[in-house]
Amino acid sequence: MKALPDLTYRQINERIMAPMTPLTREYLAWLGMCLCGVLIGAGCWAYQIATGLGAAGINHPVMWGTYLINFVFWVGIAHSGTLISAILYLFGAPWRTPLARSAEAMTVFAVSIAGLFPFIHLGRVWIVYWILPYPNQRNLWPNFQSPLIFDVIAISTYLTVSLLFWYTGLIPDLAIIRDRIKGWKKKIYGFFALGWTGSHKQWRHYNLAYLLFAALATPLVVSVHSVVSWDFALGIAPGWHSTIFAPYFVAGAIHSGLAMVLTLLIPLRRLHKLEDIISIPILENVAKTIIFTGLIVAYSYLTEAFISWYSGNVAERGIFHWRAVGHYAPLFWLMVTCNTIVPLFLYFKKIRTSIVPLFIISILINIGMYYERYVIILSSPGHEFDPYSWSIFHGPSWVEYGILLGSFSLFFMLFLIFARVLPTVSMTELKEDMKSPRRASALSGNNGGGQ
Amino acid sequence: MNATRPMVALFEYLDDLLRAIDNLKQRGIEIGDVHSPRFQEEIQAAMGVKRSPVRFFTLTGGILGILTGFGLSIYTAMQWHFIVSGKPPVPRVPYVIEAFEFCILFSVFLNLGGMLLLSRLPKHKLPKHYDTRFTEDRFGILLHCQEEERDEIGRLLSEAGAEEVNDLG
Repeated sequence: MKALPDLTYRQINERIMAPMTPLTREYLAWLGMCLCGVLIGAGCWAYQIATGLGAAGINHPVMWGTYLINFVFWVGIAHSGTLISAILYLFGAPWRTPLARSAEAMTVFAVSIAGLFPFIHLGRVWIVYWILPYPNQRNLWPNFQSPLIFDVIAISTYLTVSLLFWYTGLIPDLAIIRDRIKGWKKKIYGFFALGWTGSHKQWRHYNLAYLLFAALATPLVVSVHSVVSWDFALGIAPGWHSTIFAPYFVAGAIHSGLAMVLTLLIPLRRLHKLEDIISIPILENVAKTIIFTGLIVAYSYLTEAFISWYSGNVAERGIFHWRAVGHYAPLFWLMVTCNTIVPLFLYFKKIRTSIVPLFIISILINIGMYYERYVIILSSPGHEFDPYSWSIFHGPSWVEYGILLGSFSLFFMLFLIFARVLPTVSMTELKEDMKSPRRASALSGNNGGGQ
Repeated sequence: MNATRPMVALFEYLDDLLRAIDNLKQRGIEIGDVHSPRFQEEIQAAMGVKRSPVRFFTLTGGILGILTGFGLSIYTAMQWHFIVSGKPPVPRVPYVIEAFEFCILFSVFLNLGGMLLLSRLPKHKLPKHYDTRFTEDRFGILLHCQEEERDEIGRLLSEAGAEEVNDLG
């Protein structure tokens, strides 16, 4: 089965730009629902600012509650966007094209939302600039040895690079839209298209710059989730202080991100009538990659458990035993099942090529990955070396639930807006996947990108 | 010296366009721009362009980033000489992370900046010869010719398979 249909260049423009039509009631209803969720989240955050951080369910010693879980979850979601757009670009994987633009958008939105959670967790968000290295009269500077400062730098870099990478890829497509629409929209798209004309001189610089972008984004994506993992691994809490954390977190991030790609693109391909472009073989390739990342995650779980036993460290053994049979045991087994056992069903071709099972599996993996962060972040500080300080997190407060709802709503709202105002598939890259129109081919009836 | 006049030719097929480029080059006629709806390696080869120097901008950004990352971390640590976690006041290993992140960030800034600068972007107005079909499915050649060359070049382009030859003078 062919991954991509044979389309002319004109058909590509028409097909991809077709959903950018006047708004429908259904679309507005979904957007309205998301906006309500965002308002609920914003209201909960405002309430927390007015009353203090006590409004959240966090307490000593579990000082990092759901806000840090959400932070790690959203950073993880972002990762597969860069995997698809940058790493697969370097490898020259042809199946990335229909997915890349949406996955990049997902990355930008997810990192932006992730970046909100440290602000929310700070409490006094208006003094967040204290963490930035700026000259001040007291000559105080952040501690550049701290993993939290690594995080600030890594996440800001990741957001900036993802946004610029996404925008750079959009420039030729924005020019296509500019040339096909009229009125005030033409001015806006024209402004962002920067005067792109597609001359050979522009393509020459653009192509190399895009390749270098991909080459730079690839190590960055690995570094960012490694840095996030060091927030935990550089602490000495049992269950956190592990050298496996960086690769384990990176694999987990890509695992969850790929699942989110499926969760977003399965409805999108139907709504935008792109079933032949975001085709079953393309989704199948994502599913195969999920099997691979799922196996790495499973290997990491087993290694963690083995090392805790093999180390002979009582506290390490204690935390892993407690995770499996203690307060968080249902969530622990949910995480193990969803992240390592559920993806194994994708070994069956019938399952990975059927939309409904694929969609269900993607949601289960998202749930599993959320609870992986839940178990890791909450259990270790709550079960440290001294039993006198053991404690549990009794679950999120209504404020945290509200903010969680707000974050998901904001993510889907941004994606809905993106899917309406920008092309969800790169028209330019799709053209590069098609044969160029040639007279010789036209005479033989196979006209490639021509009419 | 006679003033030159811009001429633009539109092509439906890539092989026609490549043939036209070859013919023009053989006659020693200078080609201004070649437009295409996507990146085409064959056009780059036919035009004989070298690899873009944008990579030097990127490299400069990377080096500046590494220097900034290490420089900022070391400078700030030197202000107070604190011993944190039993490490020397200026520990080198943790600062590799700042250096790495700044390296990527500055490389990307200069990569994009270099690309825009070399491509002469942003432009507020599109060039006069620009045809919106270039972003759809047509290829185009822009050239500037003398008045007396017009007919010959027009014929050359049409023979190569140009759909339209427009004199923009």
